[in-house]
Order: sequence, then C-alpha cells, then structure tokens
Amino acid sequence: MFVAFLKFLMRWFQRLVLVAALIALGIWLFYIGREHQIFLDNKTFGDFKALEQVNVSINNGETVELMPRERDMKKVVGPKFEIKAEVFDDKGEISNTITKTINLCFSKDIMINLPAFAGGAENFIVPSPK
Amino acid sequence: MIRKFFDIVANNAVPAIFILISAFAIPLSGFSASYLVQELLTRIGRNSFLILSLLIPIMAGMGLNFGMVLGAMAGQIGLLFICDWGVVGIPGMVLACLIGTPIAIVLGIFCGHILNRAKGREMVTSYILGFFINGVYQMVVLYLMGWVIPITNPTLLLSRGYGVRNAVSLMGIRGVLDNLLPTVIAGTEGAKQFLNVNGANTYLLLQIPCLDGAIRLPLATFIIIALFCAFIIWFRKTKLGQDMRAIGQDQGVSHSSGIPVNRTRIIAIVISTVLACYGQIIYLQNMGTLNTYNSHDQAGMFSIAALLIGGASVSRASIANVFVGVILFHLMFIVAPMAGKNLIGEAQIGEYFRVFVSYGIIALALVLHAWKRNREREAARRSMRGDK
Repeated sequence: MFVAFLKFLMRWFQRLVLVAALIALGIWLFYIGREHQIFLDNKTFGDFKALEQVNVSINNGETVELMPRERDMKKVVGPKFEIKAEVFDDKGEISNTITKTINLCFSKDIMINLPAFAGGAENFIVPSPK
Repeated sequence: MIRKFFDIVANNAVPAIFILISAFAIPLSGFSASYLVQELLTRIGRNSFLILSLLIPIMAGMGLNFGMVLGAMAGQIGLLFICDWGVVGIPGMVLACLIGTPIAIVLGIFCGHILNRAKGREMVTSYILGFFINGVYQMVVLYLMGWVIPITNPTLLLSRGYGVRNAVSLMGIRGVLDNLLPTVIAGTEGAKQFLNVNGANTYLLLQIPCLDGAIRLPLATFIIIALFCAFIIWFRKTKLGQDMRAIGQDQGVSHSSGIPVNRTRIIAIVISTVLACYGQIIYLQNMGTLNTYNSHDQAGMFSIAALLIGGASVSRASIANVFVGVILFHLMFIVAPMAGKNLIGEAQIGEYFRVFVSYGIIALALVLHAWKRNREREAARRSMRGDK
C-alpha cells in the first residue's frame, strides 16, 4: 500500500518536474526570441542639446544617420544588443564614438535619447512612443 | 486471375487515375522540370508533417482523423500568442508549439472520449466535431481575445478593440525552419547564376551537372519530417504501437487479450492531434500568413485527400502513401490551372477541374473502401458457410 502510494507520488512529482521544465523552456524562448523596437531619438533632452549629426548602428548592422530632431527605429531580437554611436561635430568630423551593450530583459520597446546617450547620462532610455 | 487483376486495380485505382491525369496535364502546362521540382519540394516540406499525423489513428483502426483540425486550431492559437508577444525566429516557432501542445492534448482527449462513444462511425463524428470545435475556436478568437484574453498588439486586433483580424502576418517566423539550413541543388550554370545573386557563404550548394537551373531545398524541414517518419517506424514496434495495430485489427479480441482499448484509442487521437498542431505551425511558417478563421478548415480535407490519392485507404496507410499522395495531389495543384489555360484559354477551368477531381477522388476512395469491405465480409460469410 505504502509502496503504491510512493509510486503515485513519484509519478506526479515527475509530471510536475516535466511541466515546470516546459514552462521554464517557454520563458527562456520568450526571453531569447522576443523582437524589440529600438527608437533612436535625436532631440534635445533636458540639458543635452540635439546633436548636429549622429550615425548609429545596432549589432554592427546598417548605419542610421540622424540629424537634429530626427527619429528612427530599428528592430532587434534577443535580450541584449550593442549600440554604436558616432557623433559628428560642426566640421563634419567624428568627435566622439560611444559603444554600449544594453540589456532589455523582458521589456518590449525602448527609446534611446541620443544626446543623453552621447553625453554620458544614466537615464538615456526614455519611454517609447505609443 | 480476373479477381486478382480487379484486386490490383481496386487497390491502386486512385493513384493510377492521378498519374494518368498528371501525365496529360504536365506537358500541357508547359512548366519546366526544375520549376515543377522546386514547387513540389516546397509543398512536400509544407504539407508532409500534417499528412503524417493521420497515420497513427489509421493504425488504431479509427479511420481518417478529420479531427486533426482541432490540432491545427491549437497550433494557430500558439501562433497568435507569439505574434502578440513579438517572439520571432525558431524560438517563436518552438514557443508556438509549446503553447499549442497542452491545448492540442486537451482537445485530443475530448475528441478521443467522443470517438469512443461513436465506435464504427469515427470519421463522420470527428468531421462534425471539427465543426463544433471550430465554433468554440471562433468564439475564443473573435470575442474573447483582446477582451478576456489579453492581446496587446493593435495590429492583431479588429478596430473595435477585441477579436483577431482575419489575416495575420507571420513575417517574424516566415520560412525560419525552411531556411534554417539553406541548401541549393544546382547545375553548373545554375550554380554560377545563383552564387552571383545570393553570395557564396549563405547557402550549402550541391552541384548536379546535368540539372537545369537552381532548386532551393528546405533541408531543416525535411530533416524534421525524416525524424517524424523514423518516430512512426519506431512507434509501430513499441508495446503501444503493437496494441494500436491489434485494436485496428479487432477491438473485441484486443479487449479480451487485456489491451485497454478505449485508453489506447484516446492516446492515438491525442498523438495525432498534437502532431497536427505542429504540422499546422510548420505549414503556416512556410506560408507566412495566418488566415485566422479559415486556415485550419482546409488542413484536414487537404491532408486526407493527399493521403487517399497516395493509395491509402481508411484502414491501411503507410509512409510511402504520404509522399506519393503529397506529390500527386500537389502536382495537380501546380499544373492544372496552367494546363487548363493552355488547353481552353481559361485558367479557372483547370482549377475547377482540379477541385472536382481532387475531391471526387476522396469520394471514390471511400466508395472503393466500402465496396472492398462489403466484399471481404461477403467472402468471410461464404467461407464460414463452406461455400467457394
């Protein structure tokens, strides 16, 4: 009787472990496979003035050229991405290059304020447009 | 002798008719061999998994599982969720399978219980059950999604704020499995042209000098289908598989020998429904568009038609029937409109002809099966009486 009960418990335990493993797999797939919209915004943000020209590439992909008050959008898949911004001065020469890896975790879309990003501000991620 | 000839004709009548029609239609269509092979390879990859999911219920003596549309609906629900969450690529496809699996299992158990109450009339029961669950599916998708079930992606929802749109783009997972191992088979000239256009690093190139043009091969999909075929062959040899075959032969004898008939039949339907769920996901990743309210409707009918055209019957089907069926059925799909256009000047006539022949063939296969079964019963009765 006791052995039968143990077997019953063991079977349910195995089933629970299997279900938990499948749920964990689902969460992991959601984490690594989610597509995110990254809005790149070159507008004045607080003390940070809009940049004359900034070239941005995400994950070493196609470069986006943004002039003052321009906004663009790129899509990335996965929780992490690398952003590289080349800031141009008035003479049209690269004055600053910033490369950073951003972890999105479970959030969907983000907007990066490029003047704040180039200026080294902590809060360069702003709410994305609806 | 004559009887043997009739037996051979009756057993192979359906594929023979299709081979005959194709033999006339292919030259009339004017398509090149490489075009036909390319189209057929794409369609084999797209449909084979769905058709293979029908084999296990046939093995268990449950006939053609028209209830596979239940699995297709489960797969579509999985796809709707990944579209809403924005999960793309292979993870998106696997996640859709994970979401669809429990839904398919529940629907399969439900279907199995009902079919156990309608023994001997499984096909018509599962066909009608498909309509019933279609109503439930439509209620969930049309009214509950976006209202009770959270759907946040506005591109999925109808303008009223709830209910899913009729056409959903699956761009995030379109062709992800087909292009996972990009492979091209090409002749010498075709290979050169292909490499000029697509670059050398992205494709695995197999050269066959005599071939004209280049043919893309959905290798990863074919590997999955091959694994599924291996699973079916292995499954037939397991205890459960042997039980199913025994039940397919005679339920009474199986019950007397201690096989849990009802439970085994439910398992057969659950396996078929879950596999149909995966099959529909593979099918839709190839298509790239989900027709929310109609995609699943045709899944059952097309798969069953292809299997019957491959020479299978209600009680006997093999892996070979699946591939012969999918080739013949889809060959008709490809060549019939163009053959009709070249012959009569109207592509629609060819399409009407294809629809008429394809679904007429289902009726013919079912009539042949009923006729053969009656004849076998009659023969069994005669032999019991001691008559010749």
